[in-house]
Order: sequence, then structure tokens, then C-alpha cells
Amino acid sequence: MDIRDIPPVPPLAAATGFEGLHKLRRSFVLAVRSLWLHKLRAFLSVLGIIIGTSAVIALMAFGKGSMQDALEDIKRQGATNIVVRSVKPPDEGATASRSFVASYGLKTLDLTRMGTFGDSISKMVPMRVFPAEVRYLDRMSNGRLVATTEDYAAVNKLVPMSGRFLNEEDNFRKLNHCVLGAGLADKLFPFEDPMGNSVVIRTQEYRVVGILADRMPTGGTGGSQAAEDYNNDVYIPFETAKVRIGATVVIRSSGSRGGEKVEVSQVTLTVDADFETSEGREKVRAVGNAIKGMLKDNHLREDWAVSVPLDRLEEAERAQARFTSLLVLIASISLFVGGIGIMNIMLATVTERTREIGIRRALGAKQRDIIVQFLVEAVVQTTVGGLAGLLFGVILVFGLPPLSQFFFDTNLPAQLSWQPMALSVGVSIVVGVVFGLYPAWRAAKLDPIEALRHD
Amino acid sequence: MAAIVEVQDLIKNYYMGDVTVNVLKGLDLAFDEGDFVSLMGPSGSGKSTLMNILGCLDRPTEGNYYLRDRDVAQMSDNQLSEVRSTYLGFIFQAYNLLPQYTVVENIELPLVYQGVPLDSRTKDRCIALAEMVGLGTRLDHRPLQLSGGQQQRVAIARALVNDPQVILADEPTGNLDSRTSVEIMEMLTELNKAGKTIIMVTHENDIAEWSRRVVRLRDGMVESDVRNEHPLGFR
Repeated sequence: MDIRDIPPVPPLAAATGFEGLHKLRRSFVLAVRSLWLHKLRAFLSVLGIIIGTSAVIALMAFGKGSMQDALEDIKRQGATNIVVRSVKPPDEGATASRSFVASYGLKTLDLTRMGTFGDSISKMVPMRVFPAEVRYLDRMSNGRLVATTEDYAAVNKLVPMSGRFLNEEDNFRKLNHCVLGAGLADKLFPFEDPMGNSVVIRTQEYRVVGILADRMPTGGTGGSQAAEDYNNDVYIPFETAKVRIGATVVIRSSGSRGGEKVEVSQVTLTVDADFETSEGREKVRAVGNAIKGMLKDNHLREDWAVSVPLDRLEEAERAQARFTSLLVLIASISLFVGGIGIMNIMLATVTERTREIGIRRALGAKQRDIIVQFLVEAVVQTTVGGLAGLLFGVILVFGLPPLSQFFFDTNLPAQLSWQPMALSVGVSIVVGVVFGLYPAWRAAKLDPIEALRHD
Repeated sequence: MAAIVEVQDLIKNYYMGDVTVNVLKGLDLAFDEGDFVSLMGPSGSGKSTLMNILGCLDRPTEGNYYLRDRDVAQMSDNQLSEVRSTYLGFIFQAYNLLPQYTVVENIELPLVYQGVPLDSRTKDRCIALAEMVGLGTRLDHRPLQLSGGQQQRVAIARALVNDPQVILADEPTGNLDSRTSVEIMEMLTELNKAGKTIIMVTHENDIAEWSRRVVRLRDGMVESDVRNEHPLGFR
């Protein structure tokens, strides 16, 4: 065949603005092929990226899950609640003389004063807590006797399993009705239906009008808020307790008899506000401060404490933000290390393929073409690594909780969200560009003649 | 016949620290279109340096180099790359094929960097060239599956794919046995007969016999410039 019979060189394509794209696609295909040639090496070099990405995704999911758990817990307590409690002043305890009745805490009068706060408080639930033995026939259980009003159920998210909770009429008419917590009901009435039966509390009989559904205890935080287990409580109307039990609790201990006179143990106030908005939070905090001011004005001693669960919510949110930024730091470090791995391999590749670079340059490749070639190779590696890490991370998120449940019997809440996934894959790509740039630049700057002579 | 390659007063110095090595000392050469030139000379004579400059891989320190009216002596790296991909064809002693590419992919490489779209016309041309050099049945082979002579023929097809104005061959038979060398030289002669300008570096006299003109260099100067009235391939 004669050279004159060969079809001519096709003309350059008319400029469409997509030549770059076309070239890029070709570079992409070539990069995949040359990586496929060294599968194991490519895998090892992106291992850092894979581990970093999957760790970030898994840790983020677990962190978010447990944080979500804590937030749910706080919301269960009522995020717009304000809890005012009676606190025994330390000096009273120290005196500890015999036959002494310590009188402290919130008064009924304080409730009236809080009532004047008006619209901003939608519910106000007073509580008086006594230690109590609850008996039915020969069965007896130690529990907590809580004297309270109708709204207590709503504020503490208690749901009756059968019957009803205390109502306005019980309170107004000072009836001897009671509602049992689920655990207590089980202990006292293992065989019978408690509804309509009477239990004996402090020598007096109360008729059971309702039983509560089982409820998860709230988590406490040191000092400010005790953990509460509602399952062993028995509830009676607030006014009933006033007339039948009074305010004084007598504590007998060896050789001495002490007493405590407390009118109201605790008041839970629900502020009419939306805790998702900053105005709502501001309002909750303002009401809390107003109550503190009011109590300060009316009590000689600091025998009360105001706690705002919202503070815990915000603390938890701050903790989450700290956790997130810590993770971002770990992620950056691991991806940085992964990037160094990529750079290392790319530099080795450039040295190894010096001759190829020389050939390409001799055949007309511009420096830019060489840069694109090696950069695309690095980016393809890190992108594939990032995606593999994503996959592995998701597998971890779904695989670890059942394992931890099985082996350690611990609940491992997890919540996947798209932001860390998008972020870590995006950062992987950026790592490819950043750490691929220097080796690619080195490749492009090679002297073609020297490169051609290289073995 | 107009000169297609012309160098005037070409000087190339290399700087090694304080020492200046004067490799080319003012060469004046002109090669006509359609010529078949052998560059000869002992090592250190400057023939490789001249070849690099003619191949637009290097720039002269001083002097002019016209590649068919284009002054390429002081072009930028980018422009030189364009000249290489569009107007020059390279044949190397070590073939210099890319091992991971097939025969056809190796042949089309200069067109890629020229920016020619890789459509069916491009493919047809590459296949036709592969058939012309006798590798029509090995289009999808990789270089390592081919013999040295076959690899060099792929390299020749690659050098022709962009329809170059000048073909630069750097000891094209250096790695081949004498029988294969003859095949390659016959092929180059055919191309020259079809009008291709060929500049070839060699240090074997019987290879230089194939060319129409023999330029001998010594110490960066032209030692002799002889027309060969009866090249081997034309007898």
C-alpha cells in the first residue's frame, strides 16, 4: 500500500467549547486504565483515604445518634419547663439538734405569686413528695408518694395505661384517689386488677383510679436535676395531701427524731414558648430569671433552686458542636495523611513513567496535557477511595449496632446524615487535586530530552 | 526546491556550573523538501544536539531555525509542542511505544495532542497506516507482543499519522538486526519516494548509503556534506 492512498488527517474539529471536556473524558479513561494496571498499588495508596472517610462517616453517625438520644431525653423532660425545687439549706442540717423540725422550701404562697406571671406560663404543677410505704393486703412496697395536680401527667409525659390520671375534681374535693406507677402496680397487684381496689398509704386508704404506662426514667445531671424513675410512684391529689398528711415529715433515726416541714417540694412550670426558636428560648430564660428574682425577694434563705432543662439542651447542643468540630479535625488529619500517601505514590509513578512522559512530550503533549493526565489519575484514585470509604462507613453504621448489642449488650444509636457523606467525598476529591498537583507539576516540568533518555 | 529545514549560524552551549560547553559552533545547513539526509559523526560531534533542536525538543542558544518559513528558534514551550504534534514525525532507536497501549492507540497518539477528534475517520487513517507498515493483523496487540522490527514499523506509522513535513529518525536501525534494518530502510525509502522529507541520524556507513545526502559533523562543525548520487534504495 502506498502512503498516498492513506486517508488524510481529519480536520481539527470546529471550536465548540467542548474540546476540553472531550480531552478530559479521554484522560479519565486512560487514568482508569493505568490504575487498573496497578490495582493493588492503587488500593494501598488510597487506603488512608478509605479509612479516613469511613471513620468520619461512622463516627459522625454514632455521635449524632447518641446526641440525638440525649436531646430526646431532654425534650421528654420538657424543653420549655422550669423546675423550682425546695432545697434544704446546709446550715439547717448541721445544727441537727434532737427533736428539731426543719422548716424550709417553697410555700403555698409562692405558688400564688407564680400564678401572677400570667400568660407566659401555660401550666403550673406543684408537687409534694413523701417517702411512703404502699400496702395492699399482705403486700408492701416502698415508693414515692407524689401529691400533685392534673397537669402533672401532661408536663411529665405520663400516659395512663388504664383508668385515668388525677383530675380537677379529685383535687378540688380532696378525694382519697390515687394513681399507681406501672412498677408499683405490678408489685402490689401481681394477680388482681388494681382498678377500684384500695391501697393503704400512711395508714389511710386510697382508691386506685388509674395505672400509668411504663415510662423510661429521665437521665439526671449532677446536682441540678435528679434522675427520676416514675414507675414506682403513687400519685394523690395535692389538696388531699395537704389535709390528710400536712407538710411535716417525721424522720426517726436511732436516738433522735427529726422532722422536715416542707409545703411544696417542687413546682414544674411550662412556659408557653417554642424552644426551637431563639425568641422562645429567650422567653423561657426570662421567666426563669423572673422566678429567681421573685424567690430571692421572698425567701430569707436560699432554700430553693431553679433549674431550666433548656440549659441542658443548649449544653448538649454545644457538646454536639464541639464533637463535630473535633471530628472535622480528625477527618482533616486522616485525609491529610491519606493525601500524603497519594502524593508519595504519584511521585513514584512520575519517576517510574519518566520515559512515557518524554515520549508524550516528543509527540506533542503540552505541559498542560501532562499535568491534566497525572492530576486526573490522582483525583480518580481519591474519588474512588472516598466512595469506597463512604460505602465502608455506611456498612459500619448498619453493621456495628447489632454487633454491640449482641456482644456487649449496649445500645449504639446511629443516625446517618448526608452532610458528612457529601463532605468527606468532596474533601477526598479536593485532596486528590491538592496532593496530585505537585507530582503532576513535576512531571510536566521534566525536560523532554532527559525524560526520553531515562530508563 | 525550497529549503524546508534551514538553520543559520546555530550555536548551542550547555552550562555546567562555571564551565560552558560549546556543542554547536555556528552551523549553517539547509535541507530541501523531499530530501533524505543522513547526519553522521562521532559521539560528541553534536549530532544528537542538532537532532534535538531540529526536533523542536530543544532551543538553540543563538542562531535561527526555520521550519518552512516558521521561525521556531525562540518559540515558547507550548508553541514547540504544537509544532511537534502538527509538523514533525519522530522515529527513535528504542521505538518508544507506550507499552500499555495497543498498536492503533500508539499510532493515534500525536493526533490526540494535536486535538484531532478521535472519530471513525481518525481510526480509518490509523488502521490504514498500520496496514501499510504490514501490521494489519495485529491492530490490538501491545508493543511487548511484537518483535523489534514490528515495533519500529508501528513507530513509523505513528510518525506518519499527522502527515508531517519532516520525519526525524534517530538511529532507526540501531536496535535491529541487519535483515530487519534493510526492511526498515526500504520502508523509509518508499516514504521518501512518495515525497517525505527524512532526516536520519546514524553512525553506520551502510545505513547512510540509503540516503541521498550525507552530512558529517565533527566538534560542532560541518566536516563534510556529500550528495549520494546512487542511494541504495534507488538503484
